[in-house]
Amino acid sequence: MRRYPTPRRRLRAPGVGTVLKWALLGAAALVMLVPLYIMVINAFKPQEAIISSPLAIGPDTFSLEYLQAALTSEKFNVVRAYGVTLLFVALVNVFGIALAAPVAYVIARGRSKWHLGLLLLFVSGLFIPGQVTLIPVVFVLRVLGLINTIPGFILFETAATLPVTIFLFAAYLRTVPRDIDEAAALDGAGKIRAFWACIFPIMRPVVATIVVLNSISVWNDFVSPQIILGPGSGIYTVTTGVYAAVGEFSTDYTTVFPTLLLAVTPAILFFVLMQRHIIGGLVAGATKG
Amino acid sequence: MADTLTVVPHPRRRPAARVWRDRLPGIVMGGPAVLVFLAMFIVPMFLAFVLSLTDWNGYSLNFTFIGLDNYAEAFRNPRTVDAAIFTAVVAFFGTVLCNGVGLTIAALISGSGRANTLMRTIFFYPYIISALIIGFLWSAMLAPEGAVNGLLGHLGAPPVPFLTEVVFAKASVILTIVWSHFGFNMILFLAGIKSVPPEYYEAATVDGASKWQQFRNVTLPLIAPVFTVNLVLTLVGLLKVYDIVLALTDGGPAGSTQTIVYQILRDSFAQSELGFGAAQSVILLLVTAVLGLAVTFARRGAEQKVAD
Repeated sequence: MRRYPTPRRRLRAPGVGTVLKWALLGAAALVMLVPLYIMVINAFKPQEAIISSPLAIGPDTFSLEYLQAALTSEKFNVVRAYGVTLLFVALVNVFGIALAAPVAYVIARGRSKWHLGLLLLFVSGLFIPGQVTLIPVVFVLRVLGLINTIPGFILFETAATLPVTIFLFAAYLRTVPRDIDEAAALDGAGKIRAFWACIFPIMRPVVATIVVLNSISVWNDFVSPQIILGPGSGIYTVTTGVYAAVGEFSTDYTTVFPTLLLAVTPAILFFVLMQRHIIGGLVAGATKG
Repeated sequence: MADTLTVVPHPRRRPAARVWRDRLPGIVMGGPAVLVFLAMFIVPMFLAFVLSLTDWNGYSLNFTFIGLDNYAEAFRNPRTVDAAIFTAVVAFFGTVLCNGVGLTIAALISGSGRANTLMRTIFFYPYIISALIIGFLWSAMLAPEGAVNGLLGHLGAPPVPFLTEVVFAKASVILTIVWSHFGFNMILFLAGIKSVPPEYYEAATVDGASKWQQFRNVTLPLIAPVFTVNLVLTLVGLLKVYDIVLALTDGGPAGSTQTIVYQILRDSFAQSELGFGAAQSVILLLVTAVLGLAVTFARRGAEQKVAD
């Protein structure tokens, strides 16, 4: 008796449950999308129109002047901030991967307790909140003479990427058969050259995952550039620049919305293009970690 | 040569030079990463403890040791205590709501098909936007003259002091965090739900289990490990929440939404009391570690039940 309802339900019009479910999801989706919509349309409107009718836009109020003002603002040079942040993202990715890949290989192939200890050392970093080490990092960078400099910032951000990167790399390398090591060794190449020439190319999928994860975290990081680079350095990333531009004028919406729109656009584009990699990478990073 | 001649007893013992030559590639490959990590993570972690015993101001390299005064101050200082309490409230309600909403929506959109994929994208997208920008966006919308109050005005409702009255501001911080973060929890739950073998549901259907019974008795126990990961990551993440508060309320009104990291960074850098900031950091590190481990172990019981 009990078995019949299921096939019958498919023939009927959508049931009450289905309607209710999609009504709920639709309402929730609106809550997610309306802020984005408000940010986009209000980037093109004068202050009075933003306050009086936040959801509407018409030809009478539409103007590009606010977006242009935000683009050419003296307080916050968005285009330059894009460039600076992209440069940081690229440098952290290159250094992070160059440091993490060989050590992950050593860990994955090693059998001694030293190798396990090495893995535990890096993995412990997963549990240390970056904000906690920030104060002493400032101390270390001051001793090294790297505080308020780009190398100092890159050094810290690179170190911050190492735990996840090494963990995922080592997990991946364990699945790569040892035959490849031996084949590479037969070629007479040194161990290090053999790694970069033969093993590293095989790691492409996990490298892609790591690039996606690290790029998002470096692009969105606010505290580290704010503290390590500092406003005094005159170097602004997208987030510290937004803070400098919007922080003081948070009631002048003709500055707030265009600035936020400009800051968000690259992240949204990246998300749209890389969605599958981002989601796959997050799942891999969280469930293996 | 030597070890080919000395046979069985100690096959591993080789001349020191040779041992080091074998180890050299490993050291060259691992060394740089270890050095960078030691300098930027491990040494700072111990330094945090050392500095927490001093009155370092962040600029000079001169400071004196003042014992445990900073720790005593952390427990006495009403701002730190208030910040710790608010952080605990955010972490608790944030973790419950992010996972509750995330799990509910994941269960609703776990099917295949375009509509489900579209929903997944819509719920997840705020996660890739910087928390600072999310904070500014919601700050603009929830302000006294912001979009939300504008809409309420059109509907004839009185304005709501979302960011200007203590209770509302606290709720606004928590709900903004949930808005931007539950998509991440949802994604992990979805991955867990999709990894449940379909035969289990078929068997449950044959047994006459309703959709809800299937979810309760098949899905939920099988995604217990994902649940643990979600709880720990959200809890540990929310204990250090900062960016979103800075942009949304700047700790106000009257300091009521200051979190512990807000407090640490303000004492350390605006007030130049890095010693005091370091002491609070050490406390936060210990609390984070203890809570993270406690949840992991508490959840191990739930996971064990499934394995049995």
